[in-house]
Order: sequence, then C-alpha cells, then structure tokens
Amino acid sequence: MSPNFTLYAALLFYTAGTLIALASLFTRERRTQHAALVLMIGGFLCHTTWIGTICARTHHPPLTNLPEAAAFVAWCIFVVELALFIRYRVQAASFFVYPLVLMLLTVAAVVHEPFAQMDPALRSSLFTAHVLLSAVGVAALLTGLAFTALSYAQDRALKSKHRGPLWEWIPSLSVCRTLSYRTLAVGFSIYTLGILAGILWSYRTTAGPIDMRVKQLGGITAWILFAVLLQSYISGAYRARRTALISVGAFVAIVVAMLGIHHV
Amino acid sequence: MPLILIGVNHRTAPVAVRERMSVADAQLAATLDELKVIAPIDGVALLSTCNRVEVILSAEREDVIEAFVDWLSARGASSRSELEKHLYILRYADVARHLFRVASGLDSMVVGEPQIGGQVRTSFLAAQRSGAIDPLLHRLFEETMRVARKVRSETGIGEHAVSVPYAAVELARKIFGDLHGLQALLLGAGKMSELTAEHLAGFGLKQIFVANRAHERAEEMAARFRGMAIRFEEIDPHLATCDIVIASTAAPHYVVEAQQVERALTARRMRNLFLIDLSVPRNLDPAIAQVDGAYLYNIDDLQQVADSNRELRLQKAEQAEEIVAREVDHFRRRLLMQYPPSWSCRSGWSRSAPRSWRNVSADSVR
Repeated sequence: MSPNFTLYAALLFYTAGTLIALASLFTRERRTQHAALVLMIGGFLCHTTWIGTICARTHHPPLTNLPEAAAFVAWCIFVVELALFIRYRVQAASFFVYPLVLMLLTVAAVVHEPFAQMDPALRSSLFTAHVLLSAVGVAALLTGLAFTALSYAQDRALKSKHRGPLWEWIPSLSVCRTLSYRTLAVGFSIYTLGILAGILWSYRTTAGPIDMRVKQLGGITAWILFAVLLQSYISGAYRARRTALISVGAFVAIVVAMLGIHHV
Repeated sequence: MPLILIGVNHRTAPVAVRERMSVADAQLAATLDELKVIAPIDGVALLSTCNRVEVILSAEREDVIEAFVDWLSARGASSRSELEKHLYILRYADVARHLFRVASGLDSMVVGEPQIGGQVRTSFLAAQRSGAIDPLLHRLFEETMRVARKVRSETGIGEHAVSVPYAAVELARKIFGDLHGLQALLLGAGKMSELTAEHLAGFGLKQIFVANRAHERAEEMAARFRGMAIRFEEIDPHLATCDIVIASTAAPHYVVEAQQVERALTARRMRNLFLIDLSVPRNLDPAIAQVDGAYLYNIDDLQQVADSNRELRLQKAEQAEEIVAREVDHFRRRLLMQYPPSWSCRSGWSRSAPRSWRNVSADSVR
C-alpha cells in the first residue's frame, strides 16, 4: 500500500467534512455540523497516521519541504480548533478553519514530493525547535485569525442589523474577541520563539543572523503585522475595519512565507 | 392497550372555558386521586396550563372515555353538548404525536416557548407521586421529555426572542455573552425601559443606574432594581463605566451625542457599549451607530429583530415537526412489539368508541 494512502483518505474526509459544514450555513441544522465534525475527526486520524508515517520513515519532524510543512501546520490548526471547540463549543470557527485545513492538505497532496531525508548537517535540536515552534505558532496564529474573522462578521451583523447566515453559529462578540486575543497572544509568543531559534540556528550554520529570502521576508512581515494586531487589542485601540485589514495582510504574509519553504 | 388523550386547548376553546376546567398545581394530587377511580383505567395523568387542560389515560377499554368527558363537563360547569364543541379526543400514536408537539412548544401560542417542557414534566411527576402512572404512561412521558429535549437542542427553536424586551436581552447577550457583572444606565423612567431593564436584570446585571429629570422618580425606579439614582448631569462618567444604556425620556432632542460615546469608548478600551433607544422622538444621536465599538438599536430595530425571530421560529418548527414525526414512528414501532393488535394502525379507534368521537385526529387539534 502506498504510504500516501492515508494522505488521500484524509483529503477525502476533510473535503466531505468541509462541504457538509458549509452546507450547514444554509440548512442551519446542528446535526449537519455534528456530521461535519465527525468526518473531520476521521480525516484528522488519517492525517495523523500520514504524519506518523513520515516521521517513522525519515526519522525527523515532517517539516523539511512545503508539502510536509503545510500538512503539519494543517494538523496543528485542527488540534487547536478541536481544543477550542471542546472548551468553548464555538462551531462557527469551523467555517474558516475546515477550509484552511483542507487547503493546506491539498497543497501537500498537489505539490507532491517524496519523503525527504534531512541533510545530516542540519540535524540539530535548535533547527528542530525552530521548525516545530514556528509551525505550532503559525497554526495558533491562523486559528486566531479565524476568530478575528468571526469577530468581524459578528460586528458587521450587529452594526448593519442584518443577520447573515453565520449569525446563529457565532458566539458573542466578547467571546470571539477574547478567543481571538488569547489565541493570537499564545501563537505570537510561540512564533517569536520559533523565529529566534531560527535566527540562532542560521547564525550557527551560516555565520549570519538571517538570510533574507521570500520565506524569511514573509515570516518577518507576518510577525510585525501580528505584533500590530496584538498591540491594538492590548491598547484598546481596536477598530473593526483596521483590524480586518491587518489580519488579511498577516494571513497573506504567512501564506507567502509558507510557499517560500523549499527543501531544507 | 389503548392510549387516550381528552382535552381542550387555546385553539379549540376560549379562555372562559379553559379557566373553569383548569387545575391549580396545589390541587393536582387530589384531582388525580379523583380521576383514578371514576372508571376502570390503568393509568392517568393531567396536564393543566393556561393554554390547555388534557387528561391522558391508558386503559383496557375505550368506553372509559365517556366517564372522563362527563367529569370534564362537570368540572367546566357546562353541558355535555356545549363541551363537545371544544373537546378533542386522541388515541394511540396520535396521543404520542400530540404530547411530543406540546412538550416541544410546537402547539404553544408562542411557538417554541420553553415553559411548557417544564409543565409537562411537572404533570408527569405529580402523576407518578400519586401512583397514577402505569408502565405505558411512564414510557410515554419519558419519551415525550426526551423528544422535547432533542427538538430544542437540534433545532434551537426556543433560542430566539419574540418580544421587544427579550430582543434587547438577546442582542446584549450577542455582544457581551454572559451579562453577569455588567452595569446598565437607564435614561428616563418610561414603562418600556423599565420592562427592558427588568428582563436584563434577570440575567444577573451587577448594578443599574437611573437618571431622570425628576430625581424622585429616578430614586423610585432605582429602588425597584436595587440600583442607584443619579443626576442627569452625571451621565458622562457613567457612560464610561456602564455597558448597556437604555434611553426612554420625553425629551424632544438627543440626550446623548456621538462625541460623548466616542469619549466614553476611549475610556472603556476594548469593552463595547450597547445602546437601546426606546423613545420617540429619539434620544440617542443616530450617528452613534457609526462609532466603532458602539451598537445602537432603536425601538423599530428591536421590533424587527423580534419579528424576524418569529419567522425563524416558524422555520425551525418545520424541522421540529420532522423530528416529531420520526420519533412518533419509532415509538409506535416499539409499542407494536408489545401490544401488536391495537398499535398496528397509526391512529386508530376501537369499534366500541362512540361514533361521534371517531372523526377526531391529531391534525384537527392543530
């Protein structure tokens, strides 16, 4: 059996789960949402098995090329979403998180590359810390952005006095903002540690602090935009439209950074 | 074994008839003791609310119906022919369908209202305490309460407010989530603002401040909510500390301007401000709606929310009817195994039943 069988199975489950979750926007039935969650969990199990297969075969974390990184970030995003769902029962986040997970795993499947062996020179705990912390941080930040989007949608619905299809699924504005702030704050801290580990590792291997390519530029731009976003939360200078624009910029920067990942 | 339901409700009988037949909670046990012995039956329960009086029976024979109709007629102090105009009698699966609908709020005056679920449970517990419940009725009520829970959790039929004060509460909860610990500011002491504040206070507001031109009236109203009366000139600092502002004064001009709200929001940092304008002419500057973090609703907006919620409940009721239909079918099939001949048809009547009752089905009660 192909080692990628579980990847395709995960893709199948995620596609079905995402489509059913989006359909619940129109049916407004909780049963539909539950069915979507069950399918997504099925996909998550296959996804976990695939990541386990990579680790078992290559003896390193699945982060040495774009497909592996995309798949691992997607996995982390789903873990964060699942944890938040169990804690807060926020179903609306699934409308943003499920398509994101599906999109990242599709990238992993389409940009097909064989399981890569890591250059022995790169096998250092600093490098492992860099890739793991960056991936987990990015996953938390992207989940935070999903809650920022929910918060924005709720704000617009309350302002315009017209309920969109998301109205029933979104929790209170206060919960959305709190979750968005907390997830961004935790994600930002982890991501910052990941970047610092990367700088240190780069310094040790190339005798320079940072090598400015698309990946690094995207990563640093995203870091600055997330810092601005967090600052607006902390200072109370929160403005719905400005926050939405910064969030979109941060999302694009993260995507650019991820697309810049080639073989390590 | 036949399952029978005899009763009147808000659709079939006017309040003048229902009020005579109704049974107060305190009399429920004594009334059930009375019902147990008026005919040879296996079990009986009584559901009496402001919208309905229904007797639910399980008995070997259907001719016991006559005795219970006589009893209801005596209780309603009306002639039998008068009562027959309002009465409905349901049997077998129709009883289950009817009770499932009633407990789910589908048969209520305000579709989806939540109190009826508790009232069905109370009548079940009262019958159980009186020893009037047989295994069939026990099973019926257990199923009824399970189906009601399922309908509410799967459709969310009772979650949307259908009155103006509750619409305000619903919006406040959409903004703040939990209302515990929040503070409200009442501008003016109008009846509608009092009612809205009363509903909000029921959700755990920490403090209510009342500002009114006539300070004595403000003190009077503040005392009702264990709140605090303030002078009208003091509202600015309270805008910065209160989370909900309800305006209902007789002033012919705006009493709060957009600039005041902007200043308040700067002091409030991330915390939102919900402003409800119940006055005509309006007391809160409509430009407040453009301020980030401020959510302004006037009386028309709230009425619109209540109206659209009513429509939403009707849509949810369609989903709920599907769930009820499925559950009735399951219930009937389970009972079919236990009582095969009598439960073989969906909604049957036995030949011994009086001819006049035969045309009564669950649909005619809706």
